[in-house]
Amino acid sequence: MADETATATDEGPAVASDDRREALLAVFSDHLGDAVVGSHLKPGKALWIRVATAAWAEAALVARDKAGLKWFDFLSAIDWLPSPYGRYEDSSVDVPFPPPMPERSAAVPGYAGGDSRIQVLASVAQAGTDLRVLLKADVPDDDPRVPTWVRAYSGAAWHEREAHEMFGIGFDGNVDLRHIYLPSEFEGHPLRKEFPLLARVVKPWPGIVDVEPMPGEEPAPEGADETGGDA
Amino acid sequence: MGLVESGKMPKPLTKLLNLSRKYSIWAYQWGLACCAIEMGAAFASPRYDVMRLGVIPFPASPRQADLVVISGTVTDKIVPAIKRLYEQMPDPKYVISMGSCTNCGGPYWDSYSVTKGVDQIVPVDVYVPGCPPRPEALLEGIVLLQERIQNEDMAERWRGGQDRQEPIVVG
Repeated sequence: MADETATATDEGPAVASDDRREALLAVFSDHLGDAVVGSHLKPGKALWIRVATAAWAEAALVARDKAGLKWFDFLSAIDWLPSPYGRYEDSSVDVPFPPPMPERSAAVPGYAGGDSRIQVLASVAQAGTDLRVLLKADVPDDDPRVPTWVRAYSGAAWHEREAHEMFGIGFDGNVDLRHIYLPSEFEGHPLRKEFPLLARVVKPWPGIVDVEPMPGEEPAPEGADETGGDA
Repeated sequence: MGLVESGKMPKPLTKLLNLSRKYSIWAYQWGLACCAIEMGAAFASPRYDVMRLGVIPFPASPRQADLVVISGTVTDKIVPAIKRLYEQMPDPKYVISMGSCTNCGGPYWDSYSVTKGVDQIVPVDVYVPGCPPRPEALLEGIVLLQERIQNEDMAERWRGGQDRQEPIVVG
């Protein structure tokens, strides 16, 4: 998945090329040069561009002023660490607490690739058209800081506050990184994968004990394997 | 109120007082999430017409309210506001906890931000289960609360003799 420039799609009518989005990508490449370290272009879909961490703020200025992407949609982050708890809606048992921390797999999934555990991503769009660009950048593992987007899009300030409290990412230049959703005395970063959900420590995840057969379906036999998602 | 405080209220007067309290409940709406839609249907729509039960659902402030209906997902961040709301209400005051989230956290039982039950913060008189409960369920909760109000001994309550009764669970 990483760093591919897909041209063929399985779904929908095949679109051979997408001149508008390729032109958009060229704008970023012209102005940022080597700082564009990855991209993903699927014709007719949103364009993904991965930039170097140091060029994160500049990428926003290029998007706003050079590419005409004046509408700021959102800024957030993603933690690629596999969940140490490994529990999902259809797992029937809990793992013991505290779980062993998993190693980050070498291949970071996601469009346009990545090298760090946490990445910031932001979506900007051209109002009135269907052109949308998702920009992303690696957040260094040892020093989780990226430049702020506030100078380009002042609306990013609140989004950066959220990413700061949820992931513990610093945004250089954003002077107001108070908590926005969490109580001010909250400790920890809840959207990091290693954040423990204390309720689950106290009470194990009940799994799929409550699944009932759909009308007309045979009820599941006693003692059946309960790991299947749609019984 | 002198009679009530003295604890020597004649029974017929107690009945009359309770009857008037029962049929003039000023209910404060504390809608926090989707349950508030059902509460709005029960309180503000002619289809359910809560005023026929003697409930006045539009007090301007919790200081005028006898009852607060807490409906929706209570998060840790709004807990101080709920506590202040409850403390502002004049006694005798009643709390209806409406919906799974307010009762126990509901589908957000494992969330980092959701309070697992508003009864950790304020004493609850009536639990209305459901996700969300139908408006009729909320109305039943109010009717059950009215029955309890009718049988209360206010003089005993003023003397501090009456223990808090077990909460009502609808359904």
